[in-house]
Amino acid sequence: MTEPIVAMGRRQWPLPRQADPDAPLLVVDELRTHFRLESGSVKAVDGVSFTLNYGEALGIAGESGCGKTTTALSLVRLLPANATVVGGSIRLMGIDLVPKSEAALRRYRWREISMVFQGAMNALNPVRRIRDQIAEPIEHRLGQSPAAARKRAGELLELVGIPRKRGAAYPHELSGGMRQRAMIAMALACDPAIVIGDEPTTALDVMVQAQILELLEDLRHKLGLSLILITHDLSVIAETCDRVMIMYAGRVAEEGPVHEVFRRPRHPYTQKLLAAFPNIAADRRALEVIPGAPPDLRNPPPGCRFAPRCAAAMAICTDVVPPELTFEGVRVACHLYRADGDGLPVEAPTLATVGVAVDSTAEGAA
Amino acid sequence: MGGRYLARRGAQALLTIFAIILLNFVLFRMMPGSPERVLLRNPYLTQAKIEQVRAEWGLDKPLIPDQLVAYTTSTLTGDLGYSLKFRGIPVTDVIGQRFWPTILLIGLAEAIAIVVGLAIGAYAGWRRGGRGDRIGSGISLVLYSMPYFVIGMPLIIIFAAGFGWFPTSGMLTVGATYPSIVERLVDFGRHLALPLATVSLGLIGAYSILMRSSIIETRSEDYVTTARAKGLTDGRVLRAHAFPNALLPMVTIIAINLGYVVAGAITAEVVFNWPGLGTLTVDALSARDYPVLEGVFLLLSITVVIANLAADLVYGLLDPRVRT
Amino acid sequence: MSASVPAAPSAAHLRAERWRLRARSIRAFGRRYVRRTDGVVGLAILVLFAIVAIVPQLFVGPLETATTATGRSLEAPSGTHLFGTDELGRDLLNLTLHGARISMAIGLLATFITIVVGAIIGIVAGYLGGWADTVLMRFTDFFLVLPTFVLAIILAPIILDLIGPEAQLFGIRATLLVIVIVIGVTSWATTARIIRSQTLSIRERMFVDRARVIGGGSAHIMRRHILPNVVNLIVANTVLTFAGAVFTETTLSFIGLGDPFQPSWGQVLNAAQSSGAPGLGAWWYIAPPAACVVLVILAFTLVGNALDDILNPKSAPRR
Repeated sequence: MTEPIVAMGRRQWPLPRQADPDAPLLVVDELRTHFRLESGSVKAVDGVSFTLNYGEALGIAGESGCGKTTTALSLVRLLPANATVVGGSIRLMGIDLVPKSEAALRRYRWREISMVFQGAMNALNPVRRIRDQIAEPIEHRLGQSPAAARKRAGELLELVGIPRKRGAAYPHELSGGMRQRAMIAMALACDPAIVIGDEPTTALDVMVQAQILELLEDLRHKLGLSLILITHDLSVIAETCDRVMIMYAGRVAEEGPVHEVFRRPRHPYTQKLLAAFPNIAADRRALEVIPGAPPDLRNPPPGCRFAPRCAAAMAICTDVVPPELTFEGVRVACHLYRADGDGLPVEAPTLATVGVAVDSTAEGAA
Repeated sequence: MGGRYLARRGAQALLTIFAIILLNFVLFRMMPGSPERVLLRNPYLTQAKIEQVRAEWGLDKPLIPDQLVAYTTSTLTGDLGYSLKFRGIPVTDVIGQRFWPTILLIGLAEAIAIVVGLAIGAYAGWRRGGRGDRIGSGISLVLYSMPYFVIGMPLIIIFAAGFGWFPTSGMLTVGATYPSIVERLVDFGRHLALPLATVSLGLIGAYSILMRSSIIETRSEDYVTTARAKGLTDGRVLRAHAFPNALLPMVTIIAINLGYVVAGAITAEVVFNWPGLGTLTVDALSARDYPVLEGVFLLLSITVVIANLAADLVYGLLDPRVRT
Repeated sequence: MSASVPAAPSAAHLRAERWRLRARSIRAFGRRYVRRTDGVVGLAILVLFAIVAIVPQLFVGPLETATTATGRSLEAPSGTHLFGTDELGRDLLNLTLHGARISMAIGLLATFITIVVGAIIGIVAGYLGGWADTVLMRFTDFFLVLPTFVLAIILAPIILDLIGPEAQLFGIRATLLVIVIVIGVTSWATTARIIRSQTLSIRERMFVDRARVIGGGSAHIMRRHILPNVVNLIVANTVLTFAGAVFTETTLSFIGLGDPFQPSWGQVLNAAQSSGAPGLGAWWYIAPPAACVVLVILAFTLVGNALDDILNPKSAPRR
């Protein structure tokens, strides 16, 4: 585990003027992002909070549509035209990014927070050479000369394992793995504090996936990067991340150190997610599926959003939003855990205490 | 750029040109009775005279391969026959003096329209839904629905007949003498203004609408998101990332569109009595001057094919993906 | 659960079911269509012109000719002549409304030929594939490159000779029939291309293979399976083709291929040009037919785009 102070010491460029050197790297508090559709407002991210420390790798996991990508895009406000951050705060080194204007926010893009997108097939401009695309932010955001920028681009390519000469290639001339490496090199161009990877290995085959993950780990320790890794693949998070945050339907279900959450999942959703992975060492059994589908976020259910699909749902779950409680470093939002409790779930519900919601799961289970 | 790509496109172009020559041949030699009707309009000819003329013109030989070969070789050596309307003058001469006014008109109009139309379309599509977009797209849509002469006639009424700023027809003032070349150019410019405006407006209407769609599609591509994530200014994202990619389908469209531009330019020339291939075609049509019509068709077709080839080469320059 | 297999539904039952499904999808389509203001406006304009085109005499009486002209030469618009008169003294309102009938009728027939030819070539090429496809597509591409307008000009006198100057069809005289044929012969290429690519993608789908296994012959498959799935594409394309047909007819008439006895809008504009109207500032001679042409083409384009967006949705960007 890299020490935060060492990581900050490796930084080459000065901190933003407004930065507070004592504040944690990133503190997101009650972030809310809504999409405006013809048919209503989709509450894609509805009260997400987390902290990222210097040198840490945070994994954000969840089903498709749970809001993990939207959360990441909200950090740098890369949202489509019909989406807005409607509430909460995003404090980068103490600076709140939410109230900033588009022009003021631009300063932080790529220079403090950069991104590696999924499926670099289309994330790279097909008509420009790789080295030009890497050099572009160095030239335009850091004000370096084109020659210096190109030189630095070459260094970055070597760093990610691409021979410098290949920089003259166009994206379509590279394999998927090399394109992803190029994207990583590009993300590092301005020496950012945080790199966000949005499903960076999903489109790749397993061998290449392993190489890319290894590369990310290597860079993280060498450069003291902080990572946010977004993926639905829990094994990737298990390999690379320090902390994991499980999201469901726009909210945080559980969050904590990786080994703790994976060893002792508390939230029923996390348990189901982990159980859905076939265990190569265990006996063969039928794959467990979670019955039902994620809720329509135009009209999310009141109370806990997982309640309609939760086998342990109680009456209170459909009415009251579960508060986030922390036990042994793990944050969880579930009524099975009481604030005054000891971190163990309350008694399993009896039929008498079970609410309406359980009927649908009973149907599916039978 | 791959020499193979060039060679392939060049070969295709040549093949198309041969197909055009063949089409010409089919139209005028194989259509029932046409050679006789075309060449011998005199109803008082005796049968013997007809036979004699047929032998002279080689019409008694079999169509394929003799007539076809004769036709092709004479075409390729620049012999396109003689005009019926202007007796005795070779078709190449008749067409020759009308060629460059049309090329000038179309060439300048395309240049203007490409610069203006693509720029308007790009900005309209980038700021989709804004006031500028709605107004611009509305105007472009109306222009797109107007045949060129429908654009030209009101221009004459308003600016030539109405305000008197421009002459109503022709390329130069009839019977005028010019003390210097500058005066001549100025007069030429005044005559060129309205026809040029007409064809340009028609093209701008089409290009801005099509470019707008292209930019809108490009805007949702992943690499544009990447560019925005890099913190580049909106203008740079548009210019360096969206525009070069949105331009690619436009190159193809501009090339395909050439056939229609030719049609439009013909009607524009008629409206302004511009002495180009357009007015020549219409006059030849009413005089049933087939050799001239044939010659114009050949010339325009070959020009379009060559322009398409040029467009393909430009596309290869702009898009590295096709060069392999 | 009982184990008996329900009896196969009767043919009549199946047909009724099919019509019920069709009715439902038509209603859904209607609901989506009215949401598009541009499509609704376009449709309204077209309906208006259609009414005028079918019975112009209801509004202005029979077509005025040189002998039945009611006004003086080149009068500006006034109380008696709302749109003024032409050089022969004919009322422009009369000419414009009757011109609607000619222009739309020619457009309709020409569109029909274009779509039929384009669809046949497109479906056959797409379905058969192989050398048939290559040959047909080379042919189609050739037509796409050609300046078809000039080709139309050349073909016109030839076809006029072929059908003879006295020919008539549905009351349309030879000169205009020539325009119909000429437009049909030169405009089918775009339609053929579009339909061919759709046919290609349909051919790959499983149900065509199933039909072949059952024993359907090529023609049967093309008609019963491919055609219904291509119809959506054809409908949107037809409307846009109609716009193009009116455009081309107007242009061809303008340069002199029209019929002075059955004047379309293009023919009226041709007469305007010949009589020097623009130079004389006789705007009333030009404005009505020109405005009608633009309105009709614009309306077709709006409707065609609306139909295309609804019937052939392109995949929306994810996220």
